[in-house]
Amino acid sequence: MSYVLSLLIFLPLAASPAIYLITRANKRWGIYASLALGTVVFLISAYVAGKVYASPPQGGQYLFQERYSWINFNFLGLDYLVGVDGLSSPLILLSALLTVLVVYGSRKLIDHHEPAYYALIFLFEGSIMGVFTSLNLIMFYIFWEVVLIPMFFFIGIWGGPRRKYAALKFIIFTYSGSTIMLLGFLYVYLGMTNAGMAVSFDIPSLAGKIPMGLQYLPLLASFIGFAVKLPLVPFHTWLPDAHVEAPAPISVLLAGVLLKMGGYGFLRISLGLFPNASAQFGWVFLALGLFSMFYGALAAILQKDLKKMIAFTSINHMGFVLFGAYATIVSGSLLGVQGAIFMMFVHGLAVGCLFMLSGYIHHQAGTRDIPALKGLGTTMPRTATVLVLASVAAMGLPPFASFLAEFMVIAAGISAYAILAVSVLVPIITAGYFLWMIKRTVLSAPEGSPVHDMEWSDVAAFSVYLIPLVILIVASYFILTPALPVATFLRGLA
Amino acid sequence: MIDFVSVAILLLSANSLLLPLLQIPKQRNPRLPGYVLAGVLAAVVVLIGLSTEYPGTIAWFGTLLSEDILGAVFAMVTVGITLAVTVASFDWQKGPNAPVYYSLLSFTALGMLLLSYSSDLLMLFVSWELMSLPTYVLAGFDKKLRSNEAAVKYAVIGAMSSAIILYAISLAYGLTGSTQISAVVQGFYQLLATQSSSSVLASLAILLFIAGFGFKMSIVPFHMWIPDAYEGAPTTVSALLAAATKKAGFVAAIRVVLAITTVYVLTKSPLFTTADVLAALALLTMTVGNISALTQKSMTRLLAYSSIAQAGYILIGFVAYANSPGSTAATIGMTGAVLHVINHAILTGVAFLAAALVLMQLRRADLGAYNGLGRRMPITALTLSIALLALAGVPPLSGFWSKLLLFLSVANGPFLWLAVAGILNSALSLGYYGWVVKRMYFDDPESPEKVPEPFWFVLVFAVMVGLIIGIGLFPQQAINFASGAVPNIAG
Repeated sequence: MSYVLSLLIFLPLAASPAIYLITRANKRWGIYASLALGTVVFLISAYVAGKVYASPPQGGQYLFQERYSWINFNFLGLDYLVGVDGLSSPLILLSALLTVLVVYGSRKLIDHHEPAYYALIFLFEGSIMGVFTSLNLIMFYIFWEVVLIPMFFFIGIWGGPRRKYAALKFIIFTYSGSTIMLLGFLYVYLGMTNAGMAVSFDIPSLAGKIPMGLQYLPLLASFIGFAVKLPLVPFHTWLPDAHVEAPAPISVLLAGVLLKMGGYGFLRISLGLFPNASAQFGWVFLALGLFSMFYGALAAILQKDLKKMIAFTSINHMGFVLFGAYATIVSGSLLGVQGAIFMMFVHGLAVGCLFMLSGYIHHQAGTRDIPALKGLGTTMPRTATVLVLASVAAMGLPPFASFLAEFMVIAAGISAYAILAVSVLVPIITAGYFLWMIKRTVLSAPEGSPVHDMEWSDVAAFSVYLIPLVILIVASYFILTPALPVATFLRGLA
Repeated sequence: MIDFVSVAILLLSANSLLLPLLQIPKQRNPRLPGYVLAGVLAAVVVLIGLSTEYPGTIAWFGTLLSEDILGAVFAMVTVGITLAVTVASFDWQKGPNAPVYYSLLSFTALGMLLLSYSSDLLMLFVSWELMSLPTYVLAGFDKKLRSNEAAVKYAVIGAMSSAIILYAISLAYGLTGSTQISAVVQGFYQLLATQSSSSVLASLAILLFIAGFGFKMSIVPFHMWIPDAYEGAPTTVSALLAAATKKAGFVAAIRVVLAITTVYVLTKSPLFTTADVLAALALLTMTVGNISALTQKSMTRLLAYSSIAQAGYILIGFVAYANSPGSTAATIGMTGAVLHVINHAILTGVAFLAAALVLMQLRRADLGAYNGLGRRMPITALTLSIALLALAGVPPLSGFWSKLLLFLSVANGPFLWLAVAGILNSALSLGYYGWVVKRMYFDDPESPEKVPEPFWFVLVFAVMVGLIIGIGLFPQQAINFASGAVPNIAG
């Protein structure tokens, strides 16, 4: 039996206290140790992703599967069950990569309570790995909730002026959503028990087995849980607050990793376990996704705070994920699910880069206000270049892979209902407000005192976000090939 | 075979009677009575543990007590909490009255021990009183106005609930001619079978039992005395009231009300069943407890309302059982209820003890005292945070598993609405639990200096936190212990 995934989950969790102690003794060594640990976890996740690419598991099958008996009664059985497929492996890779970049980016931006900060980063990483690899609904829920705790402290301790409000709002919103999701799982379990069916909480053995009558309420319940996380308009109001108050590196984790939990949940659970009900109400989800895309894009235009603008871009992009996922169910076009998985990966990098950059600009220029930032092209040429490139990536223009992801999702949407061609407008609006932002910040005349530009080492760190996006437009098969059996499987269930 | 439980009972009785004698000699060590009691209670816990490994019968007590896992669970929990309270009292209760204080604790523990195993209504009532009377004195032990007011209020309400229980017992005896619980259950079954007209009286008896026990269990609308009593009493005593004596109310309700529910429906052509009554009470208790807790300014009152809300969750398991005894849902529900009793005892106990330490060191109980506690009293703050998050049901802590089982037991079927209400309440409760955590870690303290944390408190905290996380990560043993109690309900 393989133990790679357990290592991926429990290595960061177990090492987190050690990171605390090392950082307490010596900050510099603490950051080195965190970087080393992050890199090790990244290498393991790269190995996992490589294996999944080399031999993609069939639909409904999982690689690196591990199963141990955990709780065993005649009325309740829970196994520790983990595994990966083409849906989870890109997300694991993304989380591990972003964790390393976040640790690197935090060294200048975080200046108090460092021991707890770096320890919590790995608590977060371990539990997020748990979310993406758990194949048991209760385990999934446990990791899902554990993720909240470090995030609550990240926002509350290292956040901006309204950090306490944002932290409480964040945890109450997401906790409420996820408890309702849990109730949906329990409803299925007890319903199947009462009907005398063989039942467990294992996702592989539940897929395709849940009777139609038991799908509607859980679909609604899990929808609430995932919609809060994704976030889908109108469940999104915690997100701008959390992003504005969170320190920049944490915004990277929030947008790059935490939001993916919602998209992952829609694909793995809403489509994977409740496919018939999903298909029946597919048009509702498509409409909600479309609305979220437009709302996020339009609201972003109005934002003066650079970070808030990026936060609304996240809402816009995550709408694509939901849209793509349900487009496959409605139309049968495999591009939808593939595009959604691809979108999650590229969004994590592009928007992660932008968030980190916003923190950097705030740190150097003292403000994130778009009207107040003037002439970055002259005063901070290197920063401005990265900002332009990252914006292009977020707009979805070639040569960045975001283009491909948006294209696939929109194509699938059109094959579901021709009227959904209006979704083409979303990337146009996105390009519009990004270009306007660049015009105001980069291309305007400089004002005030000159500021320090970024060092070349930082430029290198930022290019780690962007280079994979360029590579992936050519090597898109790295993600799309393993995603194909997942898409086929999900389509086949409905 | 040695009769472990009887030995435990005798040991505890002798200890209760002899402890005050320590007041007579000029004392060398003012902590001696505390040490004696802690030793005895630890021995009792071990004896109860042994009795579950080597079950016998409590031969010395005839049919008054029945040795079963249900009794062992509750005896272990209540005596264990008394032990924790005793250890935590070492540092503040060492004056000339200490022997009396510890003797009263000992009597309470004895009452709870007997109550846990009671299989006869009269025995149950006598142990109920044995448990309650010392706590009236303990609640007023501080000789302050608030403390005395709390004691009087508690005593009056307590006497009323005892009277209600006694009336219910007399009704049951009149209807069935026996005080033996199993015989009473049989008698009620006969009443039902013969369509006797006295079934109205039987239903009245059940409702009176629910009300009488409800005062101790802190079920809304019998909860009014709780916040005042918990706030006024010395906080370590509040820990005992909330974590231990309250649980005794639950074991009594399980042994009497749920046992009767197994065979008896409340009305002949049921307008409403016992399950409906319990479900309404559960909903009220959860909601009133949580909403009131949201607005509290004092930590002890907040914990008091939280403890009321937690009683509502436990009732969910009762509902699942009363709805269809014998079904899988009933097993899940009662396992969850018993497990939540165990968890809640630990969690509320440790939370009250943490509040007691803060009160002792800072002389303040308002929530403002908790600002920045993470820097001033790091161990206490961490302990309290873990306990509060576990009370909210955040995984992977112990409270999660019992809530999972409780909500699972009604997650499908006629009481789905109760599960929805419970889940929403659970999310709501994070509003005030999280608020306290926020104060401890995000807000700045009023004065920055560190506050000493005495050894005995830290020891209790460490053991309790170990249990919270241990049960959270590896719940198999705890669930197994709790589920062992379920078959004992029907008697």
